[in-house]
Amino acid sequence: MTQASVEVSAQTSGPVAQQIALVDLLDRLLGTGVVLSGDIVITLAGVDLVQVSLRALITSVRAEMVDHRP
Amino acid sequence: MSDTARYVYAVSRGLEGAVLEGLTGLRGAPVELVSHAGLEAVTSDVPLPEFSEDGLREHLEELPWLEEVARTHDEVVRAVTAHAPTAPMRLATIFHDDEAVRRRVQEWREGLVEVLDRIDGRAEWSVKVLAPPAPAPETTPGGGPTTGTEFLRRRKAQASDRAEQQEAASRVADAVHHELATIAEAARLLPPQDPQLTGHVGQMVLNAAYLVPDTARDLFAERVDALRGRHHDVTLEAGGPWPPYSFAVLEES
Repeated sequence: MTQASVEVSAQTSGPVAQQIALVDLLDRLLGTGVVLSGDIVITLAGVDLVQVSLRALITSVRAEMVDHRP
Repeated sequence: MSDTARYVYAVSRGLEGAVLEGLTGLRGAPVELVSHAGLEAVTSDVPLPEFSEDGLREHLEELPWLEEVARTHDEVVRAVTAHAPTAPMRLATIFHDDEAVRRRVQEWREGLVEVLDRIDGRAEWSVKVLAPPAPAPETTPGGGPTTGTEFLRRRKAQASDRAEQQEAASRVADAVHHELATIAEAARLLPPQDPQLTGHVGQMVLNAAYLVPDTARDLFAERVDALRGRHHDVTLEAGGPWPPYSFAVLEES
């Protein structure tokens, strides 16, 4: 598998592309049911930390990203 | 108590340690393998208390911190995905030490093997469909409405045009999804993204991920181009290959 990243679309370019990619990444790394789901996210104290903070996190991410939008 | 913990980026199968040479993870720490039961956890040390429970709780809500961790996580996952079938972990999957990593790999082994079988030789592709933005209120050729009744009639006609446009865009989204899903081995619908986050114009009517065999990659790209040519009324964005993030979900046991 070669993994040179290919954008099929020419729609994303310029400074906005970076921002879009982060949203896509967070969709996949934090979104509901994403990656290893359910109760198997591990934390140091055995508390499901990432899931617990997710709602607050997304809210604050949205707020901040809107602020930083070019 | 140790002042570092083990951050796990992914679990691979058949990954050789040599390909990790020079690869660094979070905070510049070298990426290392923890092998167990024929699988390799891709890990690096992360400092405590930054990555402790309290540390994470605090930092996950700081966008620059989150962005750096997410991008580094993605870079490491992409680097190993190029060499072996890889099941990416969710962001911030952290263990006390290598022994804890091995215990968890043992516990998840069956599910991990299923995931690795599912994604081996395949990659994730992202496809989005954006409906055009609502048209600006029409300026009437030949002067404004002469009566209140006429004004209301036009307003109603505009609203109905918009509804039709939305419906048409949704039908295109369904058609695109249906056609691409027949090439893909699996498909997943992600929630539409907020225009405020992405800066896109118009309404996102499809945000989908497709698991495409590497052998069907060209066919998939051709089909995307054909669909784009057929549906000029919407914007179709496609990107990839992604590591198979949307298809590495362990089934609940």
